Amino acid sequence: MSTVDEHEKDVPSEDSGGKSPSPPEQKGKATAYVIFFFFVGLIASLIVGWIIFPQLLYSQKKQPIDFNHALHVDLTGDCSSCHYFRTDGTFSGVPTLWGCIDCHEEVQGDDPEEEKFVTEYVWEYKEVPWLVYSRQPDCVFFSHAAHVLNGGMDCVTCHGHIGESEHTRIYEENRITGYSRDIWGRNISGFKRNSWDRMKMDDCADCHEEARDSATKDEPRAPLGRLIDNVIRVGFPGTYADNKGGSVQTQRGACFKCHQ
Amino acid sequence: MKQERPKKFGMVIDLDKCTGCGACMVACMSENNVPFKPDETDKLTSITWMRVYELNNGKPFPETDVCYLPRPCQQCEGHHGHSPCVSVCPATATDYGMETGIVSQIYTRCFGCRYCMAACPYHVRYFNWWDPVWPDGMEKYLNPNVSVRMRGVVEKCSFCYHRYQSAKDRATYEYAEGDRDSLELGEDEYQTACTQACPAGAIIFGDLNNPDHRVHQIAQPDEKHGGRPKNPHAFRLLERLGTNPKVYYLSNRDWVRRQGDNTLAGEGKLKRH
Amino acid sequence: MSFIIGGAAGTALSPLPWKLTDDLSIWTQMWPWTPVPPDGEISYDGSTCTLCPGGCGIQVRKVDRRAVKIEGTPGHPINDGGICILGLSGLQLLYGPTRVKGPMKQTGGRGSGRWVPVSWEEALEEVAGRLAEIRDQGRPESLAVFSGNRRGTIPAMLTRFLTAYGSPNIVTGASLADSYELALHRMQGVQASAGLDLDQTDFLLSFGSGVLDGWGSPVRMFRTNSALKDGRGRLVQLEPRLSNTAAKADQWISINPGTEAALALGLAHVIVLEKRYRAQFVNEFGGGFDAFKQMVMSGYAPETVAQITGVDAKTIVTLARDFSKASMPAAVCGRGAGDTPGSMNEVFAVHALNALVGAVNSAGGVWAVPEPVEYPWPEPEMDETAARGMQAGRLDGAGQGRYTATSSRPEQFFEAIRDGEGYPLEALFVVEANPCYSQRDPETVNAALAKIPYVVSFSSFLDETARNADLILPNHVYLERYEDVVNPGVFNRPFVGLVQPVVDPQFNTRNVGDVIIELAQGLGEPVGGAFPWDSYEDCLEQAYEEQWDALTGDGFWMDEDFTPAGWPEAFETASGKFEFLPEGLEGGYAPLEIEGASGEYPLVLVPYDSMRVSTGYIGNPPFMTKTVSDTVLKGDALLVEVNPKTAAQLGLSEGSRAVLTTAKDSVDVRVHLYEGLMPGLVAMAKGFGHTAYDKYLAGKGSNVNRLIGPVQDPVSGLDAAWGVRAKLTRA
Repeated sequence: MSTVDEHEKDVPSEDSGGKSPSPPEQKGKATAYVIFFFFVGLIASLIVGWIIFPQLLYSQKKQPIDFNHALHVDLTGDCSSCHYFRTDGTFSGVPTLWGCIDCHEEVQGDDPEEEKFVTEYVWEYKEVPWLVYSRQPDCVFFSHAAHVLNGGMDCVTCHGHIGESEHTRIYEENRITGYSRDIWGRNISGFKRNSWDRMKMDDCADCHEEARDSATKDEPRAPLGRLIDNVIRVGFPGTYADNKGGSVQTQRGACFKCHQ
Repeated sequence: MKQERPKKFGMVIDLDKCTGCGACMVACMSENNVPFKPDETDKLTSITWMRVYELNNGKPFPETDVCYLPRPCQQCEGHHGHSPCVSVCPATATDYGMETGIVSQIYTRCFGCRYCMAACPYHVRYFNWWDPVWPDGMEKYLNPNVSVRMRGVVEKCSFCYHRYQSAKDRATYEYAEGDRDSLELGEDEYQTACTQACPAGAIIFGDLNNPDHRVHQIAQPDEKHGGRPKNPHAFRLLERLGTNPKVYYLSNRDWVRRQGDNTLAGEGKLKRH
Repeated sequence: MSFIIGGAAGTALSPLPWKLTDDLSIWTQMWPWTPVPPDGEISYDGSTCTLCPGGCGIQVRKVDRRAVKIEGTPGHPINDGGICILGLSGLQLLYGPTRVKGPMKQTGGRGSGRWVPVSWEEALEEVAGRLAEIRDQGRPESLAVFSGNRRGTIPAMLTRFLTAYGSPNIVTGASLADSYELALHRMQGVQASAGLDLDQTDFLLSFGSGVLDGWGSPVRMFRTNSALKDGRGRLVQLEPRLSNTAAKADQWISINPGTEAALALGLAHVIVLEKRYRAQFVNEFGGGFDAFKQMVMSGYAPETVAQITGVDAKTIVTLARDFSKASMPAAVCGRGAGDTPGSMNEVFAVHALNALVGAVNSAGGVWAVPEPVEYPWPEPEMDETAARGMQAGRLDGAGQGRYTATSSRPEQFFEAIRDGEGYPLEALFVVEANPCYSQRDPETVNAALAKIPYVVSFSSFLDETARNADLILPNHVYLERYEDVVNPGVFNRPFVGLVQPVVDPQFNTRNVGDVIIELAQGLGEPVGGAFPWDSYEDCLEQAYEEQWDALTGDGFWMDEDFTPAGWPEAFETASGKFEFLPEGLEGGYAPLEIEGASGEYPLVLVPYDSMRVSTGYIGNPPFMTKTVSDTVLKGDALLVEVNPKTAAQLGLSEGSRAVLTTAKDSVDVRVHLYEGLMPGLVAMAKGFGHTAYDKYLAGKGSNVNRLIGPVQDPVSGLDAAWGVRAKLTRA
């Protein structure tokens, strides 16, 4: 091969006075560029994905009134004075004005938020448009009675330590779906540290599977093992002889248990 | 939370009392947020979870006779829970619950392939070809206990499962308060909207497995023969398909009972399944 | 390029695509136009349904303050938890788009559709001004009120208003209840409603009554039928069409339409001949029985009756025996749902049949039920103007001459105005009625309204009459208002149902009772003096003072201990006995001539009622229209029923387009072949052909009332037409 000829074709005719890199070096430089841009792209997209995306995705909203839970819990004792079961077994959820009027017909203290509440809402008979962190889609049926009364669960397991807060948290609303960030989880990757960090179907399933496994005295399995089990159950029904779940397709308790 | 004995919710519909008034149809539509369109005369696309059919004996005037047959979802059990629709759903949007015998339908999983509609021999499944439109203000009467469907999903009668959920909630509360001894529901604590509304009392609803419930006493399902009724006046639709449905019909009239299944010309006494 | 690859890799490692996919899948399932009903506290409020004269008790399930479901009240004496298809659809009337949202004036002239909302103050000022003007001109009798209901405090207040004002023209819609009352008046000498002791009846013989098609009190009739089916007894249906009632009956006997009275007399013949009548009643309390016996024996042998009615003689004899052998039989009449008065000849004949078997004021039979309450209102004071106005005499001729016992003749009212008879009207109020649609021959009503300078509708909906009015003062819908339901359809005890508000008024509407009080008080003395209440609610509470606790507690008041007068005390006729042959039955069977020459119109058109279609003031809600079969309504076309033999003769087949013509009008229809209909007849569903309301109801089918004109009954002066001659030709 005539290196010189090649060289003549490739290299610009003028004498730049700078270095004229040799082919291996040039190749290496190109590779270096590739690797460099690759990492630039990688890091940029990682930054976008992990940091910028969450900021864009969630809008920050304030609750209409900055409610002090700790103060009220001190006065009333526990969660169930305002968040109670009705006689038909339904859960009252976020209280309506009716529950607050007993005490707040007149301004009780000197907090400007309370004054705003009494003047703009109580006296106008206007319900406060609270933003509910735990709001689930319409298709979900959740029975507080089954979990709290039957299952003996406490509020904190799913709702976190709201009762101890002195101010209402910022409601971060997902701009696409309209649901609170508390549903998917504060962590954009969806990993949770506490049981109250997330409230999606899989989180309900986590707890139910643990309960089911312990009820049938199976060894509690690691998440991956359970995942594989579930895939096999759904994809190849009948592989496992058991019928613990009580339904045919999913062996898991028919959908209507939790959906409506 | 284990149940003592699995329930099998079913219905007995007395076709000699049914007057064809249609109250069950509207009770269901009102309870379950079923949409309506300006023109509902195309019955292939008209969504009626509960539908009243008109049967006739084919005789000329004046021997003509007509019978009205209300048809909810039959909640087929098939063999061990393999209903026709459950067996074909690719999205696991429908499932058979072993504890209640009710076939559930989850609108959020359904992607509208309509395989279940093809599989169902009773045409109880309906597809939302269009988004529901509630005129100006009518969305206020929607029932919050039943999710509102958008277009593209299949829907069907659920034996008012939301009423079962509510009844259990109430029972749980009362049990926790010490006002009742057990979480078991009484026969009249869970009744479907159609049963409750029927002005003629032609529909009876209850647990087919419970010997104290009227549906069991009237239909007398025969466990050893796929649940077919021992009551000679009772019959199920398309019995011989083996779908093992949970809706039993009563009639004193022979011609009505015979129309419960498809027959060949000249076929004599129907062979039992 | 590598930047892109790097970007892609990084994106894949970041949660962005996964989260975005999850979010988008949620987003695609939540279009903003798919409503999500808000959750809330569930409560139940009781009331009484007013959508038909049945009077069922309802409980309305509410979520917070929204009504979401209407259910029947368990334990209620009329419906015991059951509810009919119309009652269930009530929420579509409450929240529907055809609600009139506030007072409106039609500024572009009637029928223009140019409505301008006005405030209540403005509207009432205008009306009060007109009313004062009419009075000042010394012609108070030229104000008329057309009320759909006849009983209860609202019609009573309307009457009271007109009396104090000086007008006799309170016109109420007439129905079978009027005919039954007239029958009780003529044959028993009492002023009472007819009730049926359905808890005990073991043989119900129906002369064309839609027992399961809306007659009487529908849910109560259904429960009775179910009890009969459970072994208590039998239902026999006599009519030319296999209606739902006929299909459920233990026996369906097809009979030539219009000949029911002849059959009743034929049955009477057999019963008298074979001495199967209740001797204790007939011998001691049967006034005019000899003449009656003479009449039925001479003219109504089974063979003769067979010729008239088309029912064979053997069936007549067997039926007569079965009916008289039952221990608690009852015969009823009044075609379909009974919303037309019908022929008195027929009602007399059937009631005479009842008397023959002793089914008068006895177990399982027809009871004379008095008014539950007399309102404690003093006679309204009338000034000179009013007194003179009252002398003018009613435009409809009711209560005078031949028709002293008839309180109102709506057909004659509209005809008189149309024809300019009597004196001209200046103003008309229409309350809880839609005569421009539901009166037979609506063209007469339209023509009459055109001659009245000022028409005010109190309708809650923009119906045909409201469209033809100058001003609408919308009433609350029944779920938003107080009212009373008195002695509902064939209930056999004095009964008052309380209608209570279940939700707040959705729009700027007012209870017509409150409006009347305000208008009256605005007119000053003496009209205002007759209305001393602050509100209609006060008036209602005062009217039912003794019963108020029961009304507000149970939702109804019923005289539980009521028993009908025993035979010795029951009859207040001149003879003190039951009159078997009142005037109108003396000549035996007197068939009603239906309109049309048989040569030109070879068929007979009979309208029919169905539970699935509302035919009166309430327009069919979308839920109910949805349940109508595609053999009745297909697209916008109404299908009329024709027997296949008749259709073949006319060259018509299933679904054929045809033109149905009568002497009154002509409409386009399609044909449905029905073996359940007697040959030679055409059956057409009532309740369709609306031109007002919205796309869910307007333009579907045709209004059968256009095809049938009223035929005056010689005894009651009310409309007795049961059909009309017609022809059906291929389109």
